[in-house]
Amino acid sequence: MSAVDTATMTSPRTRRRVLLRKRFLRRPMAVAGLVVVVAFVVVAIFAPWLAPYRAGATDFNALLAQPSSKHLLGTDSLGRDELSRLIWGARASMQAGFFATVLAILVATPIGMIAGYYRGWVDSVIARLTDVLLAFPFLILAVGLAAIFGASLLNATLALGVGAAPGLIRVARGETLALREEDYVPAAIANGATDRTIIFRHILPNMTSTLLVQATVTIPAAIVGEAVLSFLGLGVQAPTPSWGTMLQDAQSYLTQAPRLAVFPGLAIVLAALAFNVLGDGLRDIFDPRTTR
Amino acid sequence: MLEVRDLSVRFDTDDGPVHAVDRMSFELAPGEVLGIVGESGCGKSVTCMALVRLLPETASVSGRAIFEGVDLLSLSSRRLRAVRGRSIAYVFQEPMTSLNPVFTVGRQIGEVLERHLGMSARAARARTLELLELVRIPAPERRLDEYPHQLSGGMRQRVMIAMALACDPKVLIADEPTTALDVTIQAGILDLMRDIRERLGTAIILITHNLGVVADIADRVVVMYAGRKAEEAAVDDLFTFPQHPYTVGLLGAIPRPYEGEGTRERLQEIPGRVPSLRELPQACAFAERCPRADARSRSEVPQLREVRPRHLVACFHPGPN
Repeated sequence: MSAVDTATMTSPRTRRRVLLRKRFLRRPMAVAGLVVVVAFVVVAIFAPWLAPYRAGATDFNALLAQPSSKHLLGTDSLGRDELSRLIWGARASMQAGFFATVLAILVATPIGMIAGYYRGWVDSVIARLTDVLLAFPFLILAVGLAAIFGASLLNATLALGVGAAPGLIRVARGETLALREEDYVPAAIANGATDRTIIFRHILPNMTSTLLVQATVTIPAAIVGEAVLSFLGLGVQAPTPSWGTMLQDAQSYLTQAPRLAVFPGLAIVLAALAFNVLGDGLRDIFDPRTTR
Repeated sequence: MLEVRDLSVRFDTDDGPVHAVDRMSFELAPGEVLGIVGESGCGKSVTCMALVRLLPETASVSGRAIFEGVDLLSLSSRRLRAVRGRSIAYVFQEPMTSLNPVFTVGRQIGEVLERHLGMSARAARARTLELLELVRIPAPERRLDEYPHQLSGGMRQRVMIAMALACDPKVLIADEPTTALDVTIQAGILDLMRDIRERLGTAIILITHNLGVVADIADRVVVMYAGRKAEEAAVDDLFTFPQHPYTVGLLGAIPRPYEGEGTRERLQEIPGRVPSLRELPQACAFAERCPRADARSRSEVPQLREVRPRHLVACFHPGPN
């Protein structure tokens, strides 16, 4: 087969991918968001190699030291290297953000789809319970759940995942309600499709882009949530570093060394912002009305 | 093969019941093309959707629909699914939206084959290719891997027909298959349906509001009005000797551009509007719009009578004019 042939015979799937990539690259904010997100993930994964010191390593000759060539961002009250702790702290944030979101989607999608597909009393029960849970702000709900589950990174992640589920249930339910009215659903029924086929082959694949976008919104919320829980002592426990616990530690030295609060704060803001910007970009490129 | 007896459909809405179909009966012989004609809202689609139970839960259906000895209306949903798409296939009006946008044409047709005939993915692909050739889609190998949005409306309708024919059904119900398409494409689709009947011997129920389409391919015609059967006859009889004033009115409303110079007359429309289906009138439903209506038409429901062999009319004053 000649080169020309292979070029013209690219599959539609590939073509769609090329189109989506083109649209994505036309959005500098989204690209920047992606770069920062990838950077954070890489930092979290390779923390042991990237961090100049171990997270718990103390240097009693440099307590609350100013930034220097030895400690690029200075040290905290126990002489621990601030940069190293930030790098190690990224792990807790990324883990909580990622796994809480995965958990929320795994829990919420089936529940929301069952409510939206079968409607009737099942839907009424699920929708009303969701409304009740949504009456609590996300963080309050997560704090409450974490208090019940006990303080640890795993429990904080569980609490954040469960706390984020109600919003996602609502999205999955709404999307299912809309998609089940599409003409291809009765067409599939007329062809002998079972409920399972319709749910898994016709509804779920058509809502993946919505779920993906929703996930990029949930991740930053969970990252902030993890920091809040750790700050309140309901998440990561000292001496394990987390941006939240670092903020907590920094509180007592706000006047002497404000940078101890500024750097983890910046990390949280930057990570959350990057995910949000990326999510906005993804939403735009998946929107079929987007022409650019 | 398919015998529908006293099929009635009532929708329970917030504003009370709507009687969409009232005691419809008809038969379909193997290989026959039956046209069901009527205005929008006369119950023609509802009748056919009721046969394979595609109506929402707000619809209560009564009567019988005997297909190969079993009543479709009382079949378990499991056995009904085995009939849907396998023995009785349905083609909807909207080719633009009746295909799932995220799967290729090949996978969507293949899914039906795998479900009903237990074919392997490879066999299903080969059969799908055959089907696309059968419905005369150009470059079928390439279309197999294309997504619905890459196809034109006419092509999508051909794909829908290919999907309907996948399991070689005995009955094909085509609900306004050409309405959403432009005229030249319509002719192609009708040609295809004729061809299918001849080559595969599939019986077709064709729902349409277009008498031209019926004249083109139907063997028998049922004319529906306000949920009831007004007239039923072989297609030639209906066009030559229309008996029901509604049928006469419909035929008068067809433009005839070929009747020579100077004979251009204004198209005759039927005065008035379709009655509400909120309550079943104890009268001929057409009485309000009918030039022949008399006191009896307004106080009694006309029953179907055989005015000529195999030509049924529900009218007290049947006749061509």
